Amino acid sequence: MNQKKSKNFRHTKAFWLFVLPSLVLFTVFFLLPLGMSVYFSFTNYDGWKTMDFIGLENYTKILKDTEFYSTIGRTVVYTVVNLPFKIAIPLLLAVLVTSKHLHGRTMIRTWIYIPVLFSALVAGITINWMFGQEYGLVNFLLGKIGVEPLQWALNPVLATVVISVASNWVSAGYYMLLYVGGINNISPELYEAAEVDGATQREQFFKLTVPLLMPTTFIVLLLSTVNLLKEYALIQGISLGGPGKSTTYMVQYIFDKGFTQLKYGYASAAGVLISILFIIIALIQFRATKGGEV
Amino acid sequence: MKKMMKSAVASLIMTAMAAVALTGCGSSDSGKSAGVETSSAGASGTASGLEMSVMLSEEPGQEDALGNALNDWAKETGNTVKQIIISNDDMLTKFPAMAKNNDVPDLVSTTGLHQLYPDEFEDMSQILDLSKFNESALKIVGKAYTEDAYKGVPYQFTTTCMYYNKDAFREAGIEAPTVDNPWTWDELFENAKTLKEKGGTKYGFAADVSRARYDIMMYANGGSLLEKDGDSFKVTVNSPENIETLSKFVQANDEVMPKAIWAGGTTDNPVEYFKNGDAAILLSGSWNYQTFSADISKFSFGVMPTPKGLVSRSAIIGGGALAIPSSAKHPELAEDFVKWLYENKDHYESFAQRDKGPSVLKDYAYEPVEDDAKADFAIIQDEVNQVTDSFMVDESASWRQYKDNEYRDALKQAVAGSITPEDALKGFAQELAEASNWKMEY
Repeated sequence: MNQKKSKNFRHTKAFWLFVLPSLVLFTVFFLLPLGMSVYFSFTNYDGWKTMDFIGLENYTKILKDTEFYSTIGRTVVYTVVNLPFKIAIPLLLAVLVTSKHLHGRTMIRTWIYIPVLFSALVAGITINWMFGQEYGLVNFLLGKIGVEPLQWALNPVLATVVISVASNWVSAGYYMLLYVGGINNISPELYEAAEVDGATQREQFFKLTVPLLMPTTFIVLLLSTVNLLKEYALIQGISLGGPGKSTTYMVQYIFDKGFTQLKYGYASAAGVLISILFIIIALIQFRATKGGEV
Repeated sequence: MKKMMKSAVASLIMTAMAAVALTGCGSSDSGKSAGVETSSAGASGTASGLEMSVMLSEEPGQEDALGNALNDWAKETGNTVKQIIISNDDMLTKFPAMAKNNDVPDLVSTTGLHQLYPDEFEDMSQILDLSKFNESALKIVGKAYTEDAYKGVPYQFTTTCMYYNKDAFREAGIEAPTVDNPWTWDELFENAKTLKEKGGTKYGFAADVSRARYDIMMYANGGSLLEKDGDSFKVTVNSPENIETLSKFVQANDEVMPKAIWAGGTTDNPVEYFKNGDAAILLSGSWNYQTFSADISKFSFGVMPTPKGLVSRSAIIGGGALAIPSSAKHPELAEDFVKWLYENKDHYESFAQRDKGPSVLKDYAYEPVEDDAKADFAIIQDEVNQVTDSFMVDESASWRQYKDNEYRDALKQAVAGSITPEDALKGFAQELAEASNWKMEY
């Protein structure tokens, strides 16, 4: 009995030794800011000199703010519309780069992955150069072939399309790698058996590959949802949330309130409410996909 | 149980990520530092071999008046200057962060930090003889919002200013207005249409994305943000005449202006449109004159008087101030620099020749050498006289301590068409009234 206890203790000590570095980082960079945000949300903190406890005033103000609701609505629509692309594009790319018939697979994977290495702001500015309304490359090329320049910066739909393209461009390589790992884990014998049974390539993809990649798809779905809901730096580089407020999403809203209008307490309250919304969305995803279990 | 644990852990991570999105947002730093090395020995009694950190809103160009003055002072005294470049908008959040960490620069070139946070800056009347300064410049640029103290001294005195592309005007057959016979705003928009059609420019008219630019149209049409109400003020920004003015501005954006700029969908700068020859008329600040003189070579430009509104012409004056944070590491260097600049006639003259703007000192007047520049400067000086009483009332209320960017954002939303001019101004009026405890008139 004593020996067993000792073994358990040794195991626990090792466990904590492994976990400690992550725990420290998690506490310093996640839990502490979280606690501070919750605390600020009950104050009128202006980021410097004023910090009085004001109870639930920030929360009641936010819940009466129509801009808050329209920002949430806009963010949810942006997320829902983009999610299928966040899954389909990397999945198709992964199938492509794992195909035995493709030459130069490693090089192609590298090229697709490179945008992942860019900072989101740099990627945003790069896309802005391409889609700039006055001096952008795309409108220049359209002009060269006699097509009227498109109003990327004036039309809310076009501005959202540009951000969506940029977001998918930046993230596709990362999710593709997750899918590549998933595809490589599928036993080749399953495909051989399917071929023997006369399944076409299309049937193999939809009835074998896609179902067996469900755990990976779940991860991609979860990560993309969170990233889309938090889209910020990319938008700062492309549209600054405009035209008007048409590309102002949740994090921009928080940023504007906190860092432009210096209402840190109010912004913290918005952050807390939005976090709760994130949790609800994540829980729904867990339930709907059964945690990615096949 | 396992599933519940998974859900709980995932939820915790999501919450933390959202919180980090908030607490980490302010970390991006647009500032950068550049050292100006000098090796000569000290010349003015001040300690030499020290480094003075100076916060500037943009990288000084080769001909920049303040940049050159700092370099000259550094050479003369044997000190060095470390530039910290942070845009005016970002200064509002970065400076408080610096102050909290006891890491403020020795000298700040600012358009309002000292007015917003007077407690953080030294009283300039204890360092310089303020009676030397132009009174309007000192009051508008140097005085704190909430107390009767001068926590900054002006180094740049600017006014709203209309630049025009002379070549485009010639091509369109349009003659520039004169001080004696200025255009009306309606005439400006009509001529902007002609310039767009015949002047070879993409846009007839462009304006900086600044409420100060838009406001000259408002004041000219008899509007104001506030009115005096006994010892207090009333919010009048959503008056019928202001709604009418904003509606006209929205229409002008649709017809003759690069709408994407004011609609807030692009990071483009209208100043670049003018410099590239894409906008025939630019409403900006007089401080751009120096840059345009140096940068524009493919066409000739000039300055024209601002148009008349329904009531009068109008102008907004402002500028940049030098302020010394009380908790600076080397305030003595900053004090020495401002004395060096303002108390020595030669130093100030050299500075003002480069600045090419109205002088901030009473006993000195900048006089351009070339005829064109002389004519332009005469118009700029005339603009300073167009400041309306309503602007002075608004300024006396120091309304910007309560709200500032929110006003510009409301105007931008109206231009973008996401809300009506009436709703935009009403929304801002309510915000301002709530923050300031002033009553709403409309």
